[in-house]
Amino acid sequence: MLALRLLWRNWRSGELKLLGLALVIAVGVVGAIALFTDRLERSLIQESNALLGADRVVRSSRPINPDWFPEAEARGLQQSQAVTFSSMVFAGEEMYLAGIKAVDERYPLRGNLVVNERAFAADGNVVAEGVPAPGEAWVDGRLLPLLDIALGDTVGVGEYELTVTRILVREPDGGNPFNAMGARLLMNLEDLERTEVIQPGSRVTYQWLLAADSDTVLRQGVEWLEEALGEHERIIDLRTAQQGLTNTLDTGQRFLLLAAVIGVLLAGVAIALSARQFAERHEDQVALMKSLGAGAGQVRRLYLTQLLVLATGASLIGLVLAEIAQRAIAWGIQSGFEVQLLAPGFYPYVFSLLTGVIALVCFALPALWFLPGVPPLKVLRRELEPNRLEASWQLFFAALAVVVLVALFSRDLALALSVLAALLVVLLITLGLALALLSLSRRIGASAGSIWRLAVASLQRRRAESLIQIAVFSVALMLLFTLLVVRTSMVAEWQATLPEGAPNHFLVNIPEHQVAPIQRLLDDENIERQPLYPMVRGRLTEINDNNARELDLEHNTLRREINLTWTDSLAEDNEIIEGLWWDDWQRSDADLPGVSVELDAATGLGLALGDRLRFSVGGLELRAEVASIRTLDWNSMRPNFYFIFEPGALDEFSPTYITSMYLPAEDKPFLNQLLRQYPTILVMELDRIIEQVQRVITQVSNAVQLVLWMTLFGGVLVLFAAVNGSLAARRQESALLRALGSRRQLILGSVFYEFAILGVLAGVIAIVGAEVLLMGLQLFVLEIPVRPHYWLWIAGPLAGAALVSGLGVAGCRSVVTTPPGKVLRELA
Amino acid sequence: MTGTLMVDARDIEKRVTTAEGELQILHRVSLSVADGESLAITGPSGSGKSTLLGILAGLDTPTSGSVALAGRELTTLDEEGRAKVRADHVGFIFQSFQLLPGLSALENVMLPLELRGVSGARERAREFLARVGLSERLSHYPPQLSGGEQQRVAIARAFASQPRVLFADEPTGNLDTVTGAKIIDLLFELNREQGTTLLLITHEERLAERCGRRVELTAGELQGA
Repeated sequence: MLALRLLWRNWRSGELKLLGLALVIAVGVVGAIALFTDRLERSLIQESNALLGADRVVRSSRPINPDWFPEAEARGLQQSQAVTFSSMVFAGEEMYLAGIKAVDERYPLRGNLVVNERAFAADGNVVAEGVPAPGEAWVDGRLLPLLDIALGDTVGVGEYELTVTRILVREPDGGNPFNAMGARLLMNLEDLERTEVIQPGSRVTYQWLLAADSDTVLRQGVEWLEEALGEHERIIDLRTAQQGLTNTLDTGQRFLLLAAVIGVLLAGVAIALSARQFAERHEDQVALMKSLGAGAGQVRRLYLTQLLVLATGASLIGLVLAEIAQRAIAWGIQSGFEVQLLAPGFYPYVFSLLTGVIALVCFALPALWFLPGVPPLKVLRRELEPNRLEASWQLFFAALAVVVLVALFSRDLALALSVLAALLVVLLITLGLALALLSLSRRIGASAGSIWRLAVASLQRRRAESLIQIAVFSVALMLLFTLLVVRTSMVAEWQATLPEGAPNHFLVNIPEHQVAPIQRLLDDENIERQPLYPMVRGRLTEINDNNARELDLEHNTLRREINLTWTDSLAEDNEIIEGLWWDDWQRSDADLPGVSVELDAATGLGLALGDRLRFSVGGLELRAEVASIRTLDWNSMRPNFYFIFEPGALDEFSPTYITSMYLPAEDKPFLNQLLRQYPTILVMELDRIIEQVQRVITQVSNAVQLVLWMTLFGGVLVLFAAVNGSLAARRQESALLRALGSRRQLILGSVFYEFAILGVLAGVIAIVGAEVLLMGLQLFVLEIPVRPHYWLWIAGPLAGAALVSGLGVAGCRSVVTTPPGKVLRELA
Repeated sequence: MTGTLMVDARDIEKRVTTAEGELQILHRVSLSVADGESLAITGPSGSGKSTLLGILAGLDTPTSGSVALAGRELTTLDEEGRAKVRADHVGFIFQSFQLLPGLSALENVMLPLELRGVSGARERAREFLARVGLSERLSHYPPQLSGGEQQRVAIARAFASQPRVLFADEPTGNLDTVTGAKIIDLLFELNREQGTTLLLITHEERLAERCGRRVELTAGELQGA
């Protein structure tokens, strides 16, 4: 086939190598990011699902309908069951209200149970194989001193005796703070009936854990369940279970996405540049082919076939590189962090392959589009200029490619469009600034030494080309700076989310008469704590005299009992955004107590200032009027409330008190002392969750770092493509200068200064662009606070100059090492 | 004049618009070339020779008038149609050789045959390169060949597709006298063997003399047609 022969000849003559390389890198970078993030995403979801013990959990106050089990089985879902409840555990004279969990053999579906042979031991933790055998129990270390027992002793649960065989160090879903009920006792589900603890009316939570190997199976399973479930059952996924962690993952993913978008853009620029060079070199060839009788159609077919074959070949090679790269990265992460990454799915492979074709069609084709239209008369009159596709159309197709690729990649059109809009703004600024700066450098150059003059003269002579180069360098540097800054502030933001000393234990169910002594005890022990908040549990029943359940509203405050509190001082992470706090607020004519509502709840419930709410608290009625609307930080690990009442409003509902405190690992035995003194209060240990969250954050941060480096490589390729574009003319000129007797230093020196000027200009413009882009990204996409980046203003131009001049000199070195006669002859 | 007409141009005018206004390059040029004839078009630089050659070969279109090439009226055809006529009947030799630098001598000669889908392109190209004395240079690339050798490759390329009419634009313009003379000999030898109609532009006297007929173009007007 002629097209293949032509392709081979074009490849051999080096004309396609840069285009091919750019494609390989495009697919390679995008592919590696796509594959790696896919693996990471799957693993993080799994890791986070390990916090849930499953991909989804159905939670119910009644036993799960057994008819569903075979159906779930048939749908390919893995399943396991757990039953949790509070019950007294007895050992001799001692007794304790423990949080009991009875599980079947398959528990947990995600994550592990970690056990130890000793209580409160620093080492010796192992992943448990299976669950407690019938007749055995694994217990929280705290339970040993509380019941005054040792491993091997028996404890009574209801009518049944269990032998305590191991210390339970960690369970996957142990951390849901408001469901925790004191120290844990884990037992086998088979034994549950023998305890005779569960009677009609007992408060029991039945959990049906579900997992699937494929997203499709899971999604279809969930869809089926949502149809089947009754009002008592609720599906829990990670999002509902771990809001804070989900936010981190979302931001991390968005960053990787952004990195991929930037990778695509950089590769696209490289492809467009090399396609432009290819097109220029092929004008004469097409004119000749047409004079020899080839029609425009035949030329178009020949070139399209060549391009498609090239794209396919390059994409395949790129894919292999991507696979190698992602394996290398994954290997690094796995060995560094002892995590197991899951295999990537099918989609990233398909997507990576498509990337090559789409990038070629949208970035390269517009530059090549005019080729079939080159007039055959050009063989006689070389000065004839073919009708190139207008630059605006070329930009349009490039923009289209970006949108299509980003949309395909992220399925997040908003992100694609914001990056695109920012880029266009930046491009305009770039052009204006580049023109002004270039004329400034001429004035400076006029008064400088000979190497400088030569460099500036060269820039001026290739004015149009220099402008394009500056624009390309600026865009590439801008994208890289942006990525760098976003990465830095994001990691800082994450670290700030869970600072050292963030509260890691909650104390709940503190009766009113113990508030003062417990406060004193904590303060005597120098334990960092939050204030004690009174709390009652209630259900929102009416909004402005309308039944809340009948209103068409969607918010989780409507679905369950919620925690209500009162306080006279606002916690530091709370901020009133509408209405007034108690000091300034006045009751209306209705004389109802005021309530301050969290913004998210107010939005979900459609509440405004002055709206009247009715709550049901243990059968009693509580009425209030909305006095203010607040924002708060759900990640703060402090007690947070949707509804805060004015002081005294809850007094008649006999509230219990809640607080959170920071307890370092070495002080954990204090819990025993606390619980011995006040056996009725509940302690929720969040330190393990926090540790898990921090592990996930470290992983994401490291992935982000690696992706940054890969994208950087794409950026260098763009710079190289741009330098390479002007190399032919430069080689000729340098050879001429050499032939005329110029020293090597003069030539390389002028090349160095020329590119250094370009690099500095591009660096400055890139910073302006990056600041604009960053502001947009931080405000609209990533929602990270905007921080100033002073270091960028110094590092940017320096980095630009160093990178660009380095590449320029490297590209031109061969000119001064090859005899000038040879260069001139080859270029003739 | 013998046989049928290979080229038949009537009242060709060519006007172009430039920054200085409209410029008339050709004034009512009429010219016929019979099958197998050889014709030299001479004239000073800027007289419109290349423009005329471009129009006669179907690379360009006249502003008015008609051109028939191998019996096909070019002015009624679109670019695709003219390309077909060129593919079937026309060969070119250029002053600047117009060889593709990335292709070997053999591949340069094969290219027009390949574009036409001729089978045995490689063998025929080899054969014609042998005819121009370049059997030893098949795999050389144009930058590795001398000017004379490059033009011989171009001649081999032109004749290999066995065109009925060959257009040559200053074929010796870039060559020294001795090499130029050899190229002229080669050109006419092949032309005689193949019975090709030859239409060439030159301002070299000894080349024009070898042609059966010559016309002179001065300021866009034909003398001695």
